[in-house]
Amino acid sequence: MAPIRLSPLHTATAPSGWPRGQTPLERQREMAFIADSRQAVATFGITLALPRGSMRQDTMMEIIRRRGRAAWQQPGNGPRDTTVRSRRRAILRLAMLGLLAATVAGVAAADTPWSLEPLSRPAVPAGASHPIDAFIRARLVKDGIAPAPPADPRSLLRRLHYDLTGLPPTTEDVDAFAAAVAMHGPDRALGAVIDMLLASPRHGEHFARHWLDAAHYADTHGNDHDHARPHAWPYRDWVIRAFNDDKPYGRFVAEQVAGDVLFPDDPQAVVALGFLAAGPWDDTLMVGVREDTVDHLMSQNLDRDDYVMTVMSTFQSLTVHCARCHDHKFDPVSQRDYHALQAVFAGIDRADRPYDTDPALHARRRSLLARRAAIEHRDAAILASIADPAEAARLAAAATSKQTRADSFDPIEILAITSVASAGTVHTPLPDGSWLASGPTPEKDSIIVTARSTLRDLRALRLETLADPSLPGGGPGRYEPAGNFHLTEFSVAARALAPGDKPAAPVAFARAAADHADSNDPVNGAIDGQATTHWSIHPRYGQHHEAVFHLAEPLATEGGAILTIRLDFQGASGHQVGRLRLSACGPELAPADRDPVPQALAALLAKPAAERTAAETEALFLDLIRVEVESELASLPPPEKVYAVTNDFAAQGSFKPAKSPRPIRILERGEVTKPLEEVGPAALACLPDLPADLFIRGDDEGARRAALARFLVDDRNVLTWRSIVNRVWQWHFGRGLVESPNDFGFMGSEPSHPELLDWLACWFRDDGAGSLAALHRLILSSATWQQAVTFDPHAAGIDADNRLLWRAHRRRLTGEQLRDTLVGLGDGLDLAMGGPAVVHFLAKGKATFMPDGGAPAFLDYEHFPVDAPAHRRRAIYRFVFRTVPDPFMDALDVPDGGQLVPVRNESTTAVQALALQNDPFVLHQAGRITARIEARGDGDAIDALFRHLLLRPPSAEERVLVAAHAEEHGLAAAAHLLLNTNEFLYLD
Amino acid sequence: MHPTSPIPRRECLKTLSSGLGGIACAMLAAEEVGAAAPFLHGGKPRAKRVVELFMTGGASQCDLFDYKPRLEALHGQPFDPGSGKRVEASISTPGAVMKSPFAWDRHGECGRWVSSVLPYLSRHVDQMAFLMAMESPSNVHGPASYLQTSGFLLPGFPCAGAWISHALGSLADNIPAFVTLPDARGLPYNGRSAFTAGFLPANHQGTVIKASAPQPISHLHPPADRTDITAASRAEGLEVLRRLNALHGEARPGDDRLAARMASYELAARLQLSAPELLDLTGETAETEKLYGLDQPETADFGRRCLLARRLLERGARLVQVWNGPGGGSLNWDNHTDIPRELGAAAKGMDQPAAALLLDLSRRGLLDDTLLIWTTEFGRMPFSQGSVGRDHNGGTFVSWLAGAGIRPGTSFGKSDEWSWKAERDVTTGYDLHATILWLLGVDHERLTFRHSGVDRRLTDVHGRVIREILA
Repeated sequence: MAPIRLSPLHTATAPSGWPRGQTPLERQREMAFIADSRQAVATFGITLALPRGSMRQDTMMEIIRRRGRAAWQQPGNGPRDTTVRSRRRAILRLAMLGLLAATVAGVAAADTPWSLEPLSRPAVPAGASHPIDAFIRARLVKDGIAPAPPADPRSLLRRLHYDLTGLPPTTEDVDAFAAAVAMHGPDRALGAVIDMLLASPRHGEHFARHWLDAAHYADTHGNDHDHARPHAWPYRDWVIRAFNDDKPYGRFVAEQVAGDVLFPDDPQAVVALGFLAAGPWDDTLMVGVREDTVDHLMSQNLDRDDYVMTVMSTFQSLTVHCARCHDHKFDPVSQRDYHALQAVFAGIDRADRPYDTDPALHARRRSLLARRAAIEHRDAAILASIADPAEAARLAAAATSKQTRADSFDPIEILAITSVASAGTVHTPLPDGSWLASGPTPEKDSIIVTARSTLRDLRALRLETLADPSLPGGGPGRYEPAGNFHLTEFSVAARALAPGDKPAAPVAFARAAADHADSNDPVNGAIDGQATTHWSIHPRYGQHHEAVFHLAEPLATEGGAILTIRLDFQGASGHQVGRLRLSACGPELAPADRDPVPQALAALLAKPAAERTAAETEALFLDLIRVEVESELASLPPPEKVYAVTNDFAAQGSFKPAKSPRPIRILERGEVTKPLEEVGPAALACLPDLPADLFIRGDDEGARRAALARFLVDDRNVLTWRSIVNRVWQWHFGRGLVESPNDFGFMGSEPSHPELLDWLACWFRDDGAGSLAALHRLILSSATWQQAVTFDPHAAGIDADNRLLWRAHRRRLTGEQLRDTLVGLGDGLDLAMGGPAVVHFLAKGKATFMPDGGAPAFLDYEHFPVDAPAHRRRAIYRFVFRTVPDPFMDALDVPDGGQLVPVRNESTTAVQALALQNDPFVLHQAGRITARIEARGDGDAIDALFRHLLLRPPSAEERVLVAAHAEEHGLAAAAHLLLNTNEFLYLD
Repeated sequence: MHPTSPIPRRECLKTLSSGLGGIACAMLAAEEVGAAAPFLHGGKPRAKRVVELFMTGGASQCDLFDYKPRLEALHGQPFDPGSGKRVEASISTPGAVMKSPFAWDRHGECGRWVSSVLPYLSRHVDQMAFLMAMESPSNVHGPASYLQTSGFLLPGFPCAGAWISHALGSLADNIPAFVTLPDARGLPYNGRSAFTAGFLPANHQGTVIKASAPQPISHLHPPADRTDITAASRAEGLEVLRRLNALHGEARPGDDRLAARMASYELAARLQLSAPELLDLTGETAETEKLYGLDQPETADFGRRCLLARRLLERGARLVQVWNGPGGGSLNWDNHTDIPRELGAAAKGMDQPAAALLLDLSRRGLLDDTLLIWTTEFGRMPFSQGSVGRDHNGGTFVSWLAGAGIRPGTSFGKSDEWSWKAERDVTTGYDLHATILWLLGVDHERLTFRHSGVDRRLTDVHGRVIREILA
């Protein structure tokens, strides 16, 4: 055995300032280490710590061995395994349960979990033509167990349809399949159906459900202010499409971690980032709580923890997040490794992220955004272009036209100004065309300006807010003492002056620009329809300012127009404009020239070109280019949005984007108040032949994720490929070869068939080229998958849990499968794909469902109309409300998105029985099923009912039973009864 | 298990478990699990059942139980706890020191200070044990509430009631183990996640009873307009279902889930029969109704739910949770704006019914083996927010316990002179959970469930049984 390197005894302890009681750390001090015990390591592969002075080491060893033997030799649960590893697992488990008077001191570092062994392709055993069967049977032979016979065609087809699409076959499908089996043999018949189902878009919808469970996806944030995420669904649709298009697994993984960086030309790659953002998020902690609080820091830390946990559990099947407060107790993951992974995600937050569905538009916007960023960063290429004579000439011409822009605006005559507030404010015209407010300043006000424009083709409006000695601080606002204003909204209606023209119509704006605005309160806040945002000129008081509002459509009139302009001051108290003037321009002034000249540049423009310094010329030119870019960006159609991760979003309260990745420090015991040394980004250090160093040194957020994505999809990453084939195996068998799909570490389960797992991983990576469809075909074509659910007392005596797969597992329908089946049989499914989530509840009163609503939520699922069209969509499109889940789906173990769910519970409860008996939706579908059968009217209704629901005719006894019930209580009652049978709910 | 044998009790337990689902087996289990269950501490359980009154929003300790003369002396002055101590309020700027606007007096033989807003509860202080210095790691409703309900700051973890249901099941075959009674005005913070079974089987989640709704228990009966479904048609249907399932099962030996599912329908039927009697309060005396305040609008809803809690406990529920106040910023204990008005109203609605429950349990002899808990997610600041409100304070808050196994008339812990931070004998939500489990006979460190590679506990890696308040 290699020299034993021990990780120190690590303990998880309480948050700061909690000294009471005996913490694990204190307990540790009472422990004597037997770290030198070769005996313990040889026997168990671990070292143990014992209570100090409690007993002799060898006595303790004997006790441990005795108790441990009971644990690792428990009968019944699968084939015996008495390796050092399994002994160690038993001991670790006993220790964690507190059944040993010893603490696990460390796992011998020379040893690693099975999942980190190098991956190589084992030879396929002889004995069966299909590789899967060969591995399975070779293992069964060891215990003298015979595999079960193939399932009957009806069971097989039903299982297959649910397995690949989540929906049942029809009775006609069953008949056709039986005929095909008879004619072409089972293999060809089955192969044809597999191909057909894999080509059906229903299959992506089905597998997306598995994936969204694993990713803990939902349509609200969760926690106490459970706001909706109206733009979460594009990620759900991306997953569905990825499965339907059979996107190679490597690419599937890479896009979800860093699609924006690795595949910048693919607009959908941004949507894939919804994966990182899928989990819960605490709105109160991130937005509402003050930035400087421990609570806020802690929430940022836990937010990053969610990224690390989600990515590492899903793609690597390791519980890396267990190393947040201390080195992993069992697996070779240090606290440093963990924090290095946090550093990968240190520059992102969850927010709506724009994307374009049209690739051409995507490309154009991307290039403009890149140009804007280059201008902001004073990119060398941009600066060089200024030296280009043609560019210089173009810009010089632009500068000249800018100089004359003020003269190109036509004055607009103000006819009257009235205040909505009845405070007695007086508005008086001055000789220069401006109007001045005097008298009382109301708390809030809106003023209505009636004005006349003589332009025949009006393109933009200019609002000048002017300084005046009569105003507080010299104006232009009326707020005491500084002279600020908050223009919450600027809206205009226009009526043509020529007789016979239409009545006043509202004017829409494309964008706005100002000579100056407070960095938190840009002028766009005045045209966004929201009273919570506004234009403010803080802190430049006592000066003239102006804003230009670009019309979305030209306002063409023969003889000019009467404009009704409304200025809202509905923000902070008393923040109104004191003196204003209006003007407008037509098409003769180029769009880029209409914008106000930023104050800093105005002086430069006034200077003759020859007198400007090089720096001044540069500043001027950069601004001219910027305005060009801004105006073209504003002319593009608005982008779509997806709830994903980004470092570019509008700040809201304490929630602000990180300009560069936040520094990550190792935290003593995971406490944000106890930072230790800083760590940079890195990947997992425990993989064989794959270095953890991501070679990232700078501050580029995207580069970090991209490097991790490359690490994850590297052919040498043994975890990635083992992890996914195990997941797919679980999707088809109900249980993985490794029963803990998110934990391939020492505390997880070990593979029942390690060689098969490795063979599948290699085959999928190399031969299958990451095609999940190919993997489905391989698995479903095996005799192992096609076995019947039989019962063999001999086999059960050896392997009651069926870990060796001597038969198929019987599985219960999931909530979604049951729901879709009921709708399909009753109302009929609406197979429309994608789009916003469909709501199956009534939102009453002040519900959180509303974007500006507060808690609590009153969601009423009970009274949502049973015949609403929304019910007919597939369950994958349901709106999943984290904190108020649908009680019907809840009763059927459908997860609420709170935690990663690699394997669903399958509970059998009275609540579930009540839901199936009494839910109005189920009763409604039973009625619709009956109506269908009665409408068809051909032959025996009981016979038709059995065929429709159970895909077979009734036996004589069943027919009598059900017919009698139908006679007494109606056919719908009989249909409802069949929907409640075990046969309907379980898949053989 | 041997696959061909009839379903053994333990297997039935495993499949059907306890809670609303597996009640039939639960009774057998309570004894049978016995010494074999690794999570029992082996001592005699002091409590059989628990009722928890949860004050949503963060009840102000310094306006109810934690009397601080220093606040009166320094009222209106800047809050200065001394050099180097950082004052951090969660959503506001710390204001001036604010004394409680209410009068204070000592009560009972134990001399417990209680403010004048709790005239009813103050008569029972000699039965209570106060945790005077509880501390929460969070100052924010969502995580702090999660901590008090599930022992974690994050969503997705099973609540205490679910753990208890999982470990012990119900005491009767027609009552769920974990029942929760939300305020008629709305769900608490975190919505139904406040009663979730997390990753435990779904049958352990809190059964929600909406005490004043037309259909108090979801799915208990068919929709009101389905008059065609009668008791007789249901019974006949159940019989046909039993025979269809039996025919199906005969050909499928070795799978106890099939039988368990039929058993779940029979349990459901029993629940349907017992629930109307449970929910029907007309059998209660006029004196009882008055005691709980059902005759006054301020106390009627909470009073009805407290009374219902007693009826549930009598019939075998393990843990009943009664919420006082909905989530959100009003109608509860989240009194940011106006302590005199908002807290006064909250106290008025809670005081009499809570005292009535204590008295009623006591005079029926139920308090001997029933644990009563009054708690909240955190406390409030000794300084003002706005003019007369208080911001959240995870630094210190008060909970009290009474009944089974509790040493009456005691106090444990002490906050600092401002009631700002817990100072001595500090306790936490973890400790409270550990103590509840201990009283039920369960060792919190050994009650575990494997999820996603980790053996999870209600108390995470924390928790200490607060023996100082045990009898």
